Amino acid sequence: MYIFRGGDAREVNQSPEQMQAHMQKWGVWMGALGESGNFIAGEPLQAAGHVVSTGGVVTDGPFAEGAEIVGGYLIVEATDAANATELSMGCPIFEYGGTVEVREVQQMNM
Amino acid sequence: MESSVQPSAHQQTEALVEHFFRHEFGKVIAHLTRTFGTSNIEIIEDAVQDALYKAMQVWPYKEVPDNPSGWIIRVAKNKVIDVLRHNSNQQKVTVDTVALEADTDNHEVTLDSELKDDQLRLFFACCQPDLTVESQIILTLKLLCGFSRTEISRALLKNEDAIAKAFTRARSKMKESAVALEVPQGPGLQSRLEVVLKVLYLLFNEGYKAAQGEDLIREDLCEEAMRLCELLTDHPHCSLPEVHALMALMCFQSSRFATRLAADGALLTLDQQDRTAWNQELIQLGNVHMARSISGVRITEYHIQARIAYHYSNAISYEKTNWEQILQLYDLMLRSTPSPVARLNRLVVYSKVHGATAALQAFHELKSDKKLSNYHLTHAIEGELLKDSGNTAAAGKAFDQAIALAQNATEKAFLVKKREALTNS
Repeated sequence: MYIFRGGDAREVNQSPEQMQAHMQKWGVWMGALGESGNFIAGEPLQAAGHVVSTGGVVTDGPFAEGAEIVGGYLIVEATDAANATELSMGCPIFEYGGTVEVREVQQMNM
Repeated sequence: MESSVQPSAHQQTEALVEHFFRHEFGKVIAHLTRTFGTSNIEIIEDAVQDALYKAMQVWPYKEVPDNPSGWIIRVAKNKVIDVLRHNSNQQKVTVDTVALEADTDNHEVTLDSELKDDQLRLFFACCQPDLTVESQIILTLKLLCGFSRTEISRALLKNEDAIAKAFTRARSKMKESAVALEVPQGPGLQSRLEVVLKVLYLLFNEGYKAAQGEDLIREDLCEEAMRLCELLTDHPHCSLPEVHALMALMCFQSSRFATRLAADGALLTLDQQDRTAWNQELIQLGNVHMARSISGVRITEYHIQARIAYHYSNAISYEKTNWEQILQLYDLMLRSTPSPVARLNRLVVYSKVHGATAALQAFHELKSDKKLSNYHLTHAIEGELLKDSGNTAAAGKAFDQAIALAQNATEKAFLVKKREALTNS
């Protein structure tokens, strides 16, 4: 699973022209993952939400720093963790200083 | 594997036409300004920016909607309504957002022609006569052409802070004066149209003139000027002869865009350009607008300039250019606008018709004009005329002066080349 953090293009005040170019890079990257059969699922996430803590305390949140906000996730199928990491290198998020956290989904089989 | 279900999103985001977001920004701003008024312009700008941002985030994961333009309008409109409702709750002012929302639903499909009219209304609003030309240009680029501050400063070669300040000031003025969003009609149209055409003319020229550090964004200025001018030529009231004359002029000039510079970035004059690379489609389009500019009795500066450009663009070769006709057009131009620079340019044509020696004589009368003595082109043209009349030594001196006065690197390099060719011959 790829967890996308930061790289919020809004914070760097992109022009519409730059937004379109950036979006198309994401499109190309995700499309390539789809074509190679690596793509499984993924969703973009809204920045605002709620945080529920013990005792049913609900707060607005997560209100993290821009760089820590999770902007979306992607599930890909890769041969191993190294392969998944390599596939993430082309992600356009790096253009705006974001990060991709690459995590392996735990399997039932032992 | 779900990947087969996954629409090939990349093809779709890729398939969006060039500058789609940029133009959409202007369209949606124009459309929402008509609905919510110029007094809400900042809220509208933010909402449109947000909608584009959302599109950028979501479309690559999903797919580009069937009607991407309608999607952006709807998202931006809902955002504006949200903000207005929020503000009215806070200020206890009632905004009839329910009514607005109902209005939204009735107009689910926004017609292309309606969007064009909206843009034209906003364009006239950006070109309020009480604003400076610079403010008019900045407002137009920011609101209608979707340029960012950085892009405007790069395109106009101006300081970014100055652009930001000028924009904020002009926008406040637009808000305060509650500018009417309408396409002028009847007797008021002509004077308002003059302002709008001037802005387009300057926008185009700014993009067309070769500048230090050629930047693609400057070509975009020309493209934008032509796109906005097309809104006028397509409009029943605004499609006046002078509008077609300006459009023709821009078509002819831009047909040579690709051939103005050599591979090494050096400036190429008409006689050096590869004519086969001129964009024939644009020349033909220019001819069509040229024909439509002829009706009516008024002859504007655009008419004359378009006709000059017409002769250059339609000549079979440089040598076969219709210099007599062009000279007559220059004479006509000087009668209405006797600018020193126009007089200078006329001399070049004059020498083609009457020879360099005759042109040199006329030049000496011109040279006494103080405005021209510090202008590099004055000396460059003198050099050219001297060279053509066989006085190489004097020509060299004239070119040296021109080189010393030239401000822009591309032009300087061009003159240095001319100077070198002189000593080599």
